[in-house]
Amino acid sequence: MSLFSVLSVSASGMAAQRTRAELLVQNIANSETTRTAEGGPYRRKDAIFSTEHVSSAFASEFDAQLNGSETGVKVSGISVDNTEPERRYMPGHPDADADGYVAMPRVNPAEDMVDLMGASRSYQANVSAMSAIKDMIQHSIDLLK
Amino acid sequence: MLDRVTDSLERYMDLLSLRQKVVASNIANADTPGFKTQDLDFQSEFASALSGSHPQASEVSGLPVKNDGNNVSLDREARLLAENAMRFNLASGLIKEQIRMVKEAIQEGKSS
Repeated sequence: MSLFSVLSVSASGMAAQRTRAELLVQNIANSETTRTAEGGPYRRKDAIFSTEHVSSAFASEFDAQLNGSETGVKVSGISVDNTEPERRYMPGHPDADADGYVAMPRVNPAEDMVDLMGASRSYQANVSAMSAIKDMIQHSIDLLK
Repeated sequence: MLDRVTDSLERYMDLLSLRQKVVASNIANADTPGFKTQDLDFQSEFASALSGSHPQASEVSGLPVKNDGNNVSLDREARLLAENAMRFNLASGLIKEQIRMVKEAIQEGKSS
């Protein structure tokens, strides 16, 4: 049981939240994008979180089994919104169809902004956890002084 | 290591760092759907840790569950995080004091 392995738990949380924030920012940036490499308008992306067993570089498999419950988090997949794109009436637009409608991404910037705030707060919570653990490690090291 | 008190303090710090690990994993999984808050029963685990058995984390009951099946309360975890860190500092301070006393005895009370 080592405090150092707890740091990797917090690090996994930070990495997952950053991936989530990246996707949210991408959604906001592309909320008006009508052309993509896959064709059609941009489709909203979201991160899927799942629990993950983390171990520090030096921990053996036996050690991990013995101590258990070192549950980190990882992004297990990215979900792509496959619902029908929003149709907006813009006759002058180069991507408008015969009736003058343009297929726009189904992105709600307000929703993504709120999610982004959540991701940023969760990231901060992980940073606080990491600095508390860092202090504990430092105090253990100070026993040698 | 030095005497029974230091031994108990050592176990106490072990248990605190394990609990901190559980708290850190709760915080990391604050947005994971279906994740349930884990914790140690500190009192009983400390009693059994003194007799040398290995502590086990278990699910916490009575917390409000969110729509995605997750029941992590960041406020609760933040409190535990701070509490554990302070308890750990206290314990390490006490051990440091014990070591200082032994050191002083070795040096026949001459230095510091």
